Formats: sequence, structure tokens, C-alpha cells
Amino acid sequence: MTDKFLKRYSYNITANDFMSAGKSASAIKSNLKSLGIDSNTIRKISIISYETEINIVIHSYGGKLHCDIYENKIVIISEDTGPGITDLDMAMTEGYSTATDSVRELGFGAGMGLPNIKKYSDQLEINTSSTGTTIIATIYL
Amino acid sequence: MNFSIMFDKDKCRGCTNCMKRCPTQAIRLIEGKAFINTAKCIHCGECIKICPYNAYSPESIEWYNQMHDTPKKFKIAIPTTSLYGQFPRGTDICKVQNAILKLGFDFVYDASWAADLVAKAIKLKIDKEKTMRPYISTYCPAAVRLIKYRYPSLMDNLILIREPMEIAGILARERVRKKFGLKDEDIKVFYISPCPAKLLAVTNPIGDYKPSVDWVIPLNKIYGDLYREVIREDNITCSYPSLLGMKWAVAGGQSEHAELNNYIAVHGMENIIEILEEIENGKLSDIDFVEASACVNGCVGGTFNVVNPFIASSSINYISNSLPDECLNPDIDRFDEMYKTGFFNYKLKEEEKFDKLNLKEAVERNEKIREILDKLPGLDCGSCGAPTCLAHAEDVYNNESEFYDCVVLRAKK
Repeated sequence: MTDKFLKRYSYNITANDFMSAGKSASAIKSNLKSLGIDSNTIRKISIISYETEINIVIHSYGGKLHCDIYENKIVIISEDTGPGITDLDMAMTEGYSTATDSVRELGFGAGMGLPNIKKYSDQLEINTSSTGTTIIATIYL
Repeated sequence: MNFSIMFDKDKCRGCTNCMKRCPTQAIRLIEGKAFINTAKCIHCGECIKICPYNAYSPESIEWYNQMHDTPKKFKIAIPTTSLYGQFPRGTDICKVQNAILKLGFDFVYDASWAADLVAKAIKLKIDKEKTMRPYISTYCPAAVRLIKYRYPSLMDNLILIREPMEIAGILARERVRKKFGLKDEDIKVFYISPCPAKLLAVTNPIGDYKPSVDWVIPLNKIYGDLYREVIREDNITCSYPSLLGMKWAVAGGQSEHAELNNYIAVHGMENIIEILEEIENGKLSDIDFVEASACVNGCVGGTFNVVNPFIASSSINYISNSLPDECLNPDIDRFDEMYKTGFFNYKLKEEEKFDKLNLKEAVERNEKIREILDKLPGLDCGSCGAPTCLAHAEDVYNNESEFYDCVVLRAKK
């Protein structure tokens, strides 16, 4: 088994579009399912891609979600255009949220996004600045 | 393979109902007539139920010959639990077993007696092995085959405890060998079945065991003769089924009998598909046991039954709740000894296990199918003879059909 790259699925995510939030994560899930990937792995990837997608919708000015398939791993990459995570350590704490009340009224922003992403990733890399945030979550097969 | 769904080509009008309904997409239209790919068919009976022109009928063609052309064999009958729901209220069901003997069988072993043992084995396995959740019942052969073809990653969730029909067959054979000094090859075991899927379980089992049952008799084919014998005044020999075992015919009965409290009993093809999707999404890992039956209300909904599934459920619940439990289960005392020796367990064959996939091949295959699909109109009209555009794209990829079978594209060309 090598870590040869096989395929990238990419999706554009619009900021504040709560109607479509979650659709890219579902599309990733159905793609992985049609590839015959086992349910445990799909479950982890679904949670990670859903949470990253929602984060882009709530907190960013818009961005992209990629699902990269390698022979031995799946990598979920989210890239957004800002404004960045001010306090990354706090953001990794369960229950800590910077979401506004109006977002919380929609049922989002419980402060579980990044902690869940970390919990289900085998490897996690976060780069953030005022111009944007990149999250790279790897799940080994 | 022994196929138990008969198809009358002359009655078929090519309406696509069955093709769209088939849960494993085993049906295609070829020159305007339905055609079942027997390798994909799970014998669930959905096509029989939906066809507006009655082109399909359930049949176990050889059952009559199997029963009557083997006079030298000692014949054992195993009545299915749903049989007890087929009689009018007030029928003395303790006379059913004797009536079966009168039809030409030499020995009867009730499936409900075996269910008593299997329920205990399920309970013990669930209490002992907590790493796998949820376990999925292996009772409904159509549900097990649906999992094999459509949800292969859930094969690991199957509880792999032999179902009552199998256990009944083994125990009945053992009894007859001892009691009458017969050899195994002189005995033939018949299961009186509520559905065509049980025939598949006997002729093409999923698992590494040799089936103990030889043939399946459709319940409806012998019901008339049987009922006449049940109500005859000189039928006075009484033998009770297990009142809880009998409930296996009704959805939820297995779990109730196994004294489980954290379970899902789901029935009907669309419903079990929804639940299997949920399990595949990892959402039901807090549930101990999932009882999935392909037919509405459980085995009482099988196509070989004579009575409406709701009436049959009601009858079984009525009998089970109102009769005193006089069942003398012939083998219940031996349970501990059987369980210790692993009598109830079986394994999957190597090729039935969930394969580690070759992702590279899967990605390439998906890309090629996607390329074909992108050129199709996406109407899922079924006119090409495949149930969806995606299924047509897969057929084209597998060289099983022509790209221009698509009528929309042909019209544009």
C-alpha cells in the first residue's frame, strides 16, 4: 500500500448559506460509499467534513472543501478566506463558541466543531491567519 | 440454483414497476419484457407484490415431486411459526402437528421449539460480546441477502446464530436417527415455508454450514388439505408449539423471546433499507439488536401465507397470550450442553466476508461510470430497460447493455 494520490472531489461553500449547509458533506459521503469504503471510516469522514463545512458557513467569508482520496488515506481539506481563528487553543475546547445568537437559534454553533474534528481525525493540521484558515484532516484506511 | 419466483412472459407488459421496485436492481427489461438476474435476486417477493398484471408468482416447483416421489425416505416436516396465524379464531392449534402427519409426513418438529433455543443463544451472545453493535438478526434470508448485495460492510454485524429452521432440522434428524435407527440419507426434511426466500436459504445458504433442511414446501399449497385435517373430529392428538417461539412470525417476536430491551424490530423492504442506511452511517451503535424482516409485519407477511399479515399477527398474539403454555419443548434441557459446544454458531465463507477494497480500481471504475452517467439525461425513466440512469451507466460499463439503449439520446441522435 502506497500513499499514491487518486482523486480529488471539491465543493464551493458559501458563507451564511444555512440552507445548503451539509450538502457537500453528504456528497462526499455518497462518493465514498460508492467507492466501497467501510462504514466506520465513512462515519468519521462524514463528521469531519460536516463540521468543517459548517465552520466555513458560520465563521468565514466563504471557501472550499476538498476530499482527497489516496490509496491508503482520505484527507479532508477546508480552505476559507478569513477572518481566521483568533484563539486557536480556546477554539479547540469543547463548548467554546464565538457564534452569534442568531446562528445558535438555527441550531449551530454549539462549540463542538473543532473538538469533534480533532476527535475523529488521525492527524490534524490547522493554519490560520487574518486572511484565512486551512484545515487538513487525515484519516488512514 | 433453484429459483422460486415464476414469471409469465405473456402477462408482462413491460410497465417497469417491478424493475423500479426491486431492492437489488436485479430486474431489467429486455425487448419489453422483465428479466430477473438470478444471481442478484434475493427472493424478497417485492416484484410479486407490486406487479399489476400478476406476471410473477411464488412457487417452489419441485416440492410436490420431492414430497411424493420419495416413498422410501422418512419424511420430517418443520412447520413455520407463521402457520399458527393462518387459522380462524378458536381453532384448536394443538391439533396442527397431528394434521401435518396425516398429510403424509412421518415426524413433525416445530420451528417454535427450535426458536426457544435460538432465542437463548441470541441473548447470551448479545450479553457476552459487547464490541459489535448493533447485531443484526440472521433470521430473514431476504434481509441477509439484501445486506450481502447492498450493504456488504454490514456483513460483520450479522449475529451468525443459526436460525430456528436450521436448528429444528438438525434436532429432528438427530431424534429420528436415534428413535427409529435410521441413517441420515434415509431422512428428508421439509420446511413448510411462509416465503420463497427460505428456499434460497436451503439451496444457497450464506454461511459455512450444510443445510439440515432438504426442501421447502409453500405453506399455501398444503393449507387447504391441512385445515381439513385440523378440524376433523377424529383428530384428537394434541401437541403444542412454544407460545413465545411462535411469535417469531411477528416482527419484534425474536427480541421479545430473547428478553432484549434495547432493540429495533423493522419490517417491510423500504423500512429495513432506511434502518440499514442508518447503521451504515454509524448511527445505531447504541442499539443491541436489529431484527429486520423483508415482509410487512415479519414472516406473517410472506407471499406463501394465506391470511392477511395483520390478521395473522393478531391471531398469533391472541393464541400466545390466551393459551396456557403447555409446550413440552423436547430439547430445552440440553441447551447448556449445546451452547458450550458452539452448536448455534456458524461462520461466513471467505468469499462472503467484506473484502478490503482496492481503492485504485474503485476510483477508476467510478470515474468511468460517472463519465457515462454525465452523458445520460438523468430522468430515471426506465425506458432503456434499467431502473435508473446510474444503473444504465453501470450496465454499459459492465458491457451488459448498449449506451444508445437510452431512448432520449436515441431520439436526439
